[in-house]
Amino acid sequence: MNKINFLVLLFSLVSIGLFAQQKHTISGSIKDKATGESLMAATLSVLEKPGLGVKANEYGFYSLSLPEGKYTFRVTYIGYKEEKKEIELTNNITVNWSLESKGALKEVKITTKKKDDNLTRATMGTETLNMKEIAKLPVIFGEKDVLKTIQLLPGVKSAGEGNSGFSVRGGATDQNLIILDEAPVYNASHLLGFFSTFNSDAIKDATIIKGNSPAQYGGRLSSVLDVKMKDGNNKDYNVSGGIGLISSRLTVEGPIQKEKSSFIISGRRTYADAFLKLTKDYKDTKLYFYDLNAKANYSINKNNKIFASGYFGKDILGLGTGFGIDWGNTTGTLRWNHIVNSKLFSNTSFIYSNYDFNIGIENGATNVNINSKIRDFNLKQDFSYYANPKNSLRFGFNAIHHTITPSTTTGTVTNSSSKKGRESLENAIYATNEYKPNDKLTIDYGLRLSAYSLLGGDTYKLYDKGILKDSVVLENGALGKTYYNLEPRITTNYRINEVSSFKAGYARNTQHLHLLSNSSGGSPSDQWIGNSYNIKPEIADQLSIGYSRNFNKDNYEFGVESYYKNMQNQVDYKDGADINNAPDVESELLFGKGRAYGIEFLVKKKTGKLTGWVGYTLSKTERQVDGINNGEWYNAKQDRTHDLSIVGVYQFTKKWSFSGLFIYNTGNAVTFPTGKYDMDGTTVYQYANRNANRMPVNHRLDLSANYESSRKGRFQSSWNIGLYNVYGRQNAYSIAFEDNPDDKTRTQAVQTSLFKWVPSITYNFKF
Amino acid sequence: MKSIINIILIALLFSSCTKVVDLDLGDNNSKIVIDGKITNEQGPYFVKITKSVSFTETNDYPSVSNAKVIIEDNVGQKDTLTYTSNGNYKTTSIQGVEGRTYTLHVEVDGNTYHASSTMPTKVNLDTLELTKLEFAGQTRFTVIPKFTDPLSFGNNYRYIIYKNGEKDNGYYMYNDNTNNGKVNEVPIQSQQLELESGNVVTVEMNCIDQISYNYYFTLSQMAFSGPGGGTTPSNPPNNISGSALGLFSAHSTQSKTITIP
Repeated sequence: MNKINFLVLLFSLVSIGLFAQQKHTISGSIKDKATGESLMAATLSVLEKPGLGVKANEYGFYSLSLPEGKYTFRVTYIGYKEEKKEIELTNNITVNWSLESKGALKEVKITTKKKDDNLTRATMGTETLNMKEIAKLPVIFGEKDVLKTIQLLPGVKSAGEGNSGFSVRGGATDQNLIILDEAPVYNASHLLGFFSTFNSDAIKDATIIKGNSPAQYGGRLSSVLDVKMKDGNNKDYNVSGGIGLISSRLTVEGPIQKEKSSFIISGRRTYADAFLKLTKDYKDTKLYFYDLNAKANYSINKNNKIFASGYFGKDILGLGTGFGIDWGNTTGTLRWNHIVNSKLFSNTSFIYSNYDFNIGIENGATNVNINSKIRDFNLKQDFSYYANPKNSLRFGFNAIHHTITPSTTTGTVTNSSSKKGRESLENAIYATNEYKPNDKLTIDYGLRLSAYSLLGGDTYKLYDKGILKDSVVLENGALGKTYYNLEPRITTNYRINEVSSFKAGYARNTQHLHLLSNSSGGSPSDQWIGNSYNIKPEIADQLSIGYSRNFNKDNYEFGVESYYKNMQNQVDYKDGADINNAPDVESELLFGKGRAYGIEFLVKKKTGKLTGWVGYTLSKTERQVDGINNGEWYNAKQDRTHDLSIVGVYQFTKKWSFSGLFIYNTGNAVTFPTGKYDMDGTTVYQYANRNANRMPVNHRLDLSANYESSRKGRFQSSWNIGLYNVYGRQNAYSIAFEDNPDDKTRTQAVQTSLFKWVPSITYNFKF
Repeated sequence: MKSIINIILIALLFSSCTKVVDLDLGDNNSKIVIDGKITNEQGPYFVKITKSVSFTETNDYPSVSNAKVIIEDNVGQKDTLTYTSNGNYKTTSIQGVEGRTYTLHVEVDGNTYHASSTMPTKVNLDTLELTKLEFAGQTRFTVIPKFTDPLSFGNNYRYIIYKNGEKDNGYYMYNDNTNNGKVNEVPIQSQQLELESGNVVTVEMNCIDQISYNYYFTLSQMAFSGPGGGTTPSNPPNNISGSALGLFSAHSTQSKTITIP
């Protein structure tokens, strides 16, 4: 379909609904009765009109227009008691709902959504994780972590054992848009990936969309991970915290205006270095990270609310006085929710995001500093327009100003670097409509137009396979090349019957920022680089189809999705690339294409004493780059044929629960030597095809037990005891090839494993 | 730098364990390996021609003794090398001079291989300096080769370091990308040799051309595999046409020795 036709269709579908009969609108918010946290995706339905319903948006706002009449409205949200009200609709009214939590049951829920939600929504490849369900799963070092749990879902693969980096549907780890209260987080890991930047105490929930995201999201090829901070309790003051092996956490929350506005502050710090101080040998060594999350909201009046949220995190690593490294993210989001009228909801966000990395080396009179940085200023305007029960629109724009400073070296013995920070603008406008022509069919269709413009102040060089061909000088204030991309998105859901539905979707995503990393695990020194005259926007087209079926009164959910993804302008490095010190890193880059396809199965048990899921993915992902592997297709390093996760939580008694998880996956695609030769007395290895070999299979079982003590007044505490890698499997972390130290006429392959058994214990409290 | 972070983290945080594993590495396509050098020092110079073997075999590399090997330069000197032993071919007359370009021609069993390399002007290695590192209750030394990088951009260096005559098999590379025209202050971070008081340390500094730098730099990048594996390994880019492995390098060389007090 050409683009003009698509636009005409988009707007004609909307207008069909706009000129229908006179209607009245019921709108308002849906919240938790005890804490006042808004309940995103809670559903309002109308008993008299089966199949008609609306979901609260991410701020808990809903709106539904109906013909005049008397209706029974019902609000449901899993884990909460439903609310029913009979209302005569004679004019536009505002109704705010407060749902009461079902208590213990809430603690074991696996999904926060309505039970048959998977059958009604036109969302593909989307999963929401609530922090409460994560809390009971076993994790390494007892540090619950949303990024580690996300990796247990089909289609999402860990970048390596214990690593918070992940790959979605064959994409690279930099192709995930990770946003915390709308602010992009450029490096979501601490301590080289063993921990994520998300302090679970400050997080409300996290949603991952595997490629078929609605048009309001953009900028990355593979997925969107939308992490939302808690709003804070607006009824009562609460202090909660935890003490673990690696870190301690403390959270304070409470009302600013009772029942209207609230704040939350949450901090976390590791203290491995405290033990190092006690040792004679490592007392000058520093090694820690900390996070601080803060959020406040304030109701100006019933139609206007302001949210401010921020995150600050840092990793510090130092040896004595001569050597230090630090890196960290800072994000800030200022949001204004405005109810324009009962049908139109507006959100305006101003977002700041910064990531920097520094190394300092001091040696007598000489010192060297290396740093790199990325900083964003971001303005977003989003409107939700609840046109009528058949059409809900979202439209808006997003403008981001990026400043990216590549790795530069300064100090007493170096020249002032010729590398400069580059500025660019990433703009987008979008419109999307959720269209429900009847109670069986839902179609979400939208269009996003993205534009990435180079701003002046640097010289851009053009290369052909690393050979300099030309250069473009962009003066300060000049506007360089602008890349425009139209990104159509559509997903449909057809409800075949009460218990099953069929889904299909297509989406185009583009990506304008690229992470330069030549290790698969990710390192804090990895740098981002924007589009240039060489680097063109990455483009992915993903087609997917799926089938969902619920069993046993919606207690079991089965889903299968299959996808095919085509990727253009993928960035790779020429053999022997020097991405840190080359005068212009663009000379080290090569460009190619990629393809990925697979099938994902997910079976969930959502209620009862035993809850959990089984996920399995069968997939393939390949790249083809001129100048690599003789131009032939090769496996991307994250290509893993089989990937299985089994997750279970068993609520034994009210106080005791047990949980376990098992993973099994094919090893990453790697390049092992096939042969060897001698150069001047040193063994050098000979390689054949890129990524034609496999790391050994990974599998592991983790178990944990939770004990919740009885509430004493306001005080409640719990213990979590876990064992990671129960049967002590030595999973390969890396494999090195070396001369046999005992027999100089031989070479050998040596496998390194990191974790054999890792026990953990965590104490949590709340009052 | 990345490797330093990795080593520290792994050492401090995790008690990692290692074991020797058997892997199915597939068949190896045995290739001609050419290791040729010409320097600014007095000849003769050697070109060694062998064949690669499969990873699982012993380190016995078949010598190629029937090759025709010629080196010529850009001022008309031409030398046909004579076979000695163990795959080595020796020059008879040609003399390496800084600034000249040398071309190697090899013919083996009807296949021909060509390579050329330009010998960079020698940068004088003035002295070796030591820096003392104290970490974890131990004292170690690193060596800083002191020289002044020429003002012209594009100088490439390779260091070969020996402790009490024992050669370090690591690849230690340096170029003037960030410090063009400055006195070098960057120490050699040996990953194999621990330098202590009383050791006799020799540093051989070679001024090499760009392609040789790329060759050794690629090898150095593959040497350490950190979290999740390091750089994807490959056969390093070289200057030999006809799909042979190895390198033909014309470089200037100089050595200095220091005894650690």
